Amino acid sequence: MSKSNAKPDRFRELKLSLQVFFSNKSAVAGLIIFLFYFFDALILQFFPQILPFKHPYQLTPNYANPIPQPPSFKHPFGTTYPGVDLLNAIIKSIRLDFWLSLEIVIPGAIIGLVVGIIATYFGGWIDEVLMRVTDIVFSIPYLVLAIAIGYVLGRTLQSMMIALILVWWPLYARYARSVTLETKELTFIEAARAAGTSNLKIMFKHILPNSLPPVFVQISLDLGTIMLTISALAFIGFLPAANLPELGYLTSLGYNYIQTAPWAMIIPGLFIVLFALAVNLMGDGFRDVIDPRRRSEL
Amino acid sequence: MESDQLKSNLAPIVKVENFHLHYYTRRGVYKALNGVNLEIRKGEVLGIAGESGCGKSTLGRAIMGLIPRNAAVVDGRILINGRDYLKPLKDYYKNTKKFKPSKNADVLKKVNNEMSKIRGQEISMVFQEPMTTLNPLLQVGYQIAEVLLYHSPGLLASRRLSRSRAKKEDTKALVKILNENGPNEKFREYLKEKNIMGLEDQILAIWRRKDLHDLKKEQMIEKLCCEPINSFAKNYLETIEKENKLPNFSKIPIFGRIVKRELIKEGYKKASEFLGLLGIPNSDKMVYMYPHELSGGQRQRIVIATAMINSPQLVILDEPTSALDVTIQAQILELIKELKESINSSYMFISHDLSVLAEVSDRIAIMYAGQVVEVGNKDAIFDQPKHPYTQMLMEAIPTIEAHELKGIKGEVPDMRNPPKGCMFRDRCPYAMPICAEKRPDLIKVGEDHYVSCFLYEGGKS
Amino acid sequence: MLLFIPTLLGLTVIVFVLIHIGGTNKLLAMYLSPRLTGAARQQIIAELDQKFHFNDPIYIQYFYWLAQIFQGNWGITNTPIFSGPVTQAIELFFPNTLMLTIFAAILIWLISIPLGVHTAVNRDKPSDNVIRVGSLTFYAMPWYLIGIILIIIFAVWLKILPINGTVNPSLVADLSWYHNGISYPTHILLIDALIHGNLVVAGNAFLHLIMPSVTLALGVMAALVRLMRGTMLETLDQDFVNFARAKGVPEKVVINLHAKNNALLPVITNFGYLVAGLLGGVVVIEDVFSYPGIGMWLTDAMINNDMGGIMGGTLLFGIILVVTSLALDLIYAKIDPRIRY
Ligand SMILES: Nc1ncnc2c1ncn2[C@@H]1O[C@H](COP(=O)(O)OP(=O)(O)OP(=O)(O)O)[C@@H](O)[C@H]1O
Ligand code: SF4
Ligand SMILES: [Mg+2]
Repeated sequence: MSKSNAKPDRFRELKLSLQVFFSNKSAVAGLIIFLFYFFDALILQFFPQILPFKHPYQLTPNYANPIPQPPSFKHPFGTTYPGVDLLNAIIKSIRLDFWLSLEIVIPGAIIGLVVGIIATYFGGWIDEVLMRVTDIVFSIPYLVLAIAIGYVLGRTLQSMMIALILVWWPLYARYARSVTLETKELTFIEAARAAGTSNLKIMFKHILPNSLPPVFVQISLDLGTIMLTISALAFIGFLPAANLPELGYLTSLGYNYIQTAPWAMIIPGLFIVLFALAVNLMGDGFRDVIDPRRRSEL
Repeated sequence: MESDQLKSNLAPIVKVENFHLHYYTRRGVYKALNGVNLEIRKGEVLGIAGESGCGKSTLGRAIMGLIPRNAAVVDGRILINGRDYLKPLKDYYKNTKKFKPSKNADVLKKVNNEMSKIRGQEISMVFQEPMTTLNPLLQVGYQIAEVLLYHSPGLLASRRLSRSRAKKEDTKALVKILNENGPNEKFREYLKEKNIMGLEDQILAIWRRKDLHDLKKEQMIEKLCCEPINSFAKNYLETIEKENKLPNFSKIPIFGRIVKRELIKEGYKKASEFLGLLGIPNSDKMVYMYPHELSGGQRQRIVIATAMINSPQLVILDEPTSALDVTIQAQILELIKELKESINSSYMFISHDLSVLAEVSDRIAIMYAGQVVEVGNKDAIFDQPKHPYTQMLMEAIPTIEAHELKGIKGEVPDMRNPPKGCMFRDRCPYAMPICAEKRPDLIKVGEDHYVSCFLYEGGKS
Repeated sequence: MLLFIPTLLGLTVIVFVLIHIGGTNKLLAMYLSPRLTGAARQQIIAELDQKFHFNDPIYIQYFYWLAQIFQGNWGITNTPIFSGPVTQAIELFFPNTLMLTIFAAILIWLISIPLGVHTAVNRDKPSDNVIRVGSLTFYAMPWYLIGIILIIIFAVWLKILPINGTVNPSLVADLSWYHNGISYPTHILLIDALIHGNLVVAGNAFLHLIMPSVTLALGVMAALVRLMRGTMLETLDQDFVNFARAKGVPEKVVINLHAKNNALLPVITNFGYLVAGLLGGVVVIEDVFSYPGIGMWLTDAMINNDMGGIMGGTLLFGIILVVTSLALDLIYAKIDPRIRY
């Protein structure tokens, strides 16, 4: 308990964290898959020139041969309507889906976190009002609310993003609230308050850091859920502008050929599943790391 | 060799021999019990004391067979009435190269099944924390009745049937017998003759109550008769009475529930009687309450009643009072002392608090780092503590007043890498070279008094 | 408990705000047939003004609008699959959705709770691993993909289940009680056919119900099994479970009576999210299977920029969700004696 012990202890804890995470094989597999998606998104976003795409941010149709072709040497994943090479299209789509998910989940988490922390810290009617507001937002199924907001803002990529942020932040507010309620009781916060530290400082110096790890886990899990939601919206026709390289839209292109060319839906669909699966496995691994009980368990 | 040393004229119910238990965790193997030797004899209260984390609860749970899946039984055995229930776990550990909790859990499941037959019947346990020991979704009466439902359904059936078989003149006659010469042979003979043995505990429960006027008691006893019963219920209750086990048809979903309902209803009655015997006011209403409607002290009484209702041979009390405040603590201790008088069970009483143990125990065992370091009669332990650790504990008790075991210098060894020699060496003022070499055995130092310390080896043994 | 009233009002506020962001013209579009022109149009606008008070401050307008909603005046919808008053569309589509969700909910409840318990009790065993991988995979699948895989397997390869609609049209072509695609009295074809004693149609309607409801069930089950497994594992570690064992209660009873019911409590509190997910799934799945419910109507409205359909659908979905949450609260209170209203 003496001071000299503190450093190596923290080092040991970090080592244990890594040990716990890497002892979970499926979490590691999830991380590796996630990194593939991440690098795909990174390269296409910032160094598209190293890939041989003429239009990295658009699908390239081939109206000369629009009917979906089965996988072949030239098109390893086959093609989908209208003559789009699936491998190319998937590589391009991952970029859009990945950044879009991040652009939704991060602002959603930040708004939710701030609101949630404020609500718990002050409690009373502020808390009450916040809980009612989240209740109300939750009272509409999020997919439906996104459709309604999309109608008002016009159905574009931007409005989809805004709609999903609006739909998502209450989840984080609730979550942050439940996490901070626990930390709020912790003695060191009492101590900080007794020592006369200002509210703002307590909130952001003591409570926030303690709620970050569980929120971080939630973010990694939600990346998958959001990608699923985006693809579902795209599939039912939320994005009227064709030609966008987006996995859900890509699957919907093959819908009319489901009887003759099942790969046209299955293959892009598989890449959605793979991503959602990967972030879930990874998130479960992170959760093991931060949960003291699971951490010590075998 | 320990078995020779721990000889006694009183037959033990539980005998713990060289028992080792390790918890497997990600941070390493936590060696919680390292060769415990102990016996619990008929009718005694054995107090167990030791610092937090020395393995007291682990020992209690191991006797009950209630250990988690990551607990490996590494060596030794625990005999309950001569039978070693944990042997499959030890066999698994000895025969496996790499300990796997999921495999251990498989074996544990089998052990659990075997032990569920004796739990609540031969041994039972009261946990440390009364707030979490009761199921929040079930009425406390149900939770008490459950013990009877699974272990003595015959008693419940017989109680119900006896009330319908008994006639008005029977109960009147019984009151007369009781008034003349109490619950003696004649009383029992009468019950037997009329085939209403199920009335015995009901009548005595009323008879022994101290809060009622005699006349009132007589009235209540006389009412225990002539209760109508439908022939369907009568039929299956008679089967249950004869065989004292739940019939197979009680496993049929809806039908089984009807059968059980009758028994449970009777169980509520018995539970309320038993709580009344424990001096708990309003026990007839209390059985219909949920745990959250009761205070901590009340809940602990319910838990104790649940553990005791089937008169088990051994009750393990794991710090039954430490979560309660002082006045309630005293009441619960009083209750336990009374139970000790009225029900002929043995008790294993775990506590931090030596003054509590001084009050209730016959013998005391002192644990340190997963071992029993000293065990003997209460007086011997308090008057002539032999082990350096016990001596330090005794010095740390300033007055009669409650005092926790603390204020001893030094730290407990790291139980993931325990030292080779005596576990207490780092804190021991008398440490010798040999103490770093090997572990001392328990040796006899007096009448029924054993210590594990090299100071006494070579002395009288 | 009574909190559902402010929630319901808040829901109407959201819908009201969404309608009014576009200004009065948008509202008019919900109540005005686009075919009307000239004087007739002006006259209807004047009537609407009387009802909605377009010139009052916005918060006053809200109450007039709410009054109209209460009176069942939800506007009109105009999409290829239905055009007419919103309330009529609801009357037509809602029963189908109800049938679908109830069917799915029964499947979900019957299968996922026992599976969750089983996996927790048999933690790390092969069966646990298989179920875990399976549920995670379905959890990671978009709803429509589950539907499409089912279609490919059961309709395209095995050819044993129909792909879309509620019934094979040739079967109902000359049934008198089946006019204009609306069956009576319940508007649920399967039940109506049974009432009319037409087993062939009922059987066919049942076949049409299988794939959409199984798809819906699989998506929710994946989440529920995971949730139940987690809470069950936690409950199995609790003192009272060990105490039940210490009493000598058979392990089966410990699990099914003591542990399961307690593990269900957090599941029920989280059930609201699952229902929200389920209703979202309805939108997608009805679209995939062209199953004529409110979800299909809503997507149709979205694609055609039909405000009446979108806002009517949103409000209806919201009301359904609020009512379900209320029901869940009541169930929770029934199970947990600590909660009394
Ligand atoms: N399930 C478990 N997994 C890992 N370690 C455990 C587990 N249960 C107990 N332990 C460890 O075993 C040691 C002994 O625990 P135990 O509960 O038996 O101590 P105790 O003597 O009853 O202490 P207290 O007086 O605080 O109740 C503790 O250090 C604890 O950390
Ligand atoms: S064996 Fe040695 S170290 Fe241990 S208690 Fe005795 S004297 Fe002390
Ligand atoms: Mg303990």
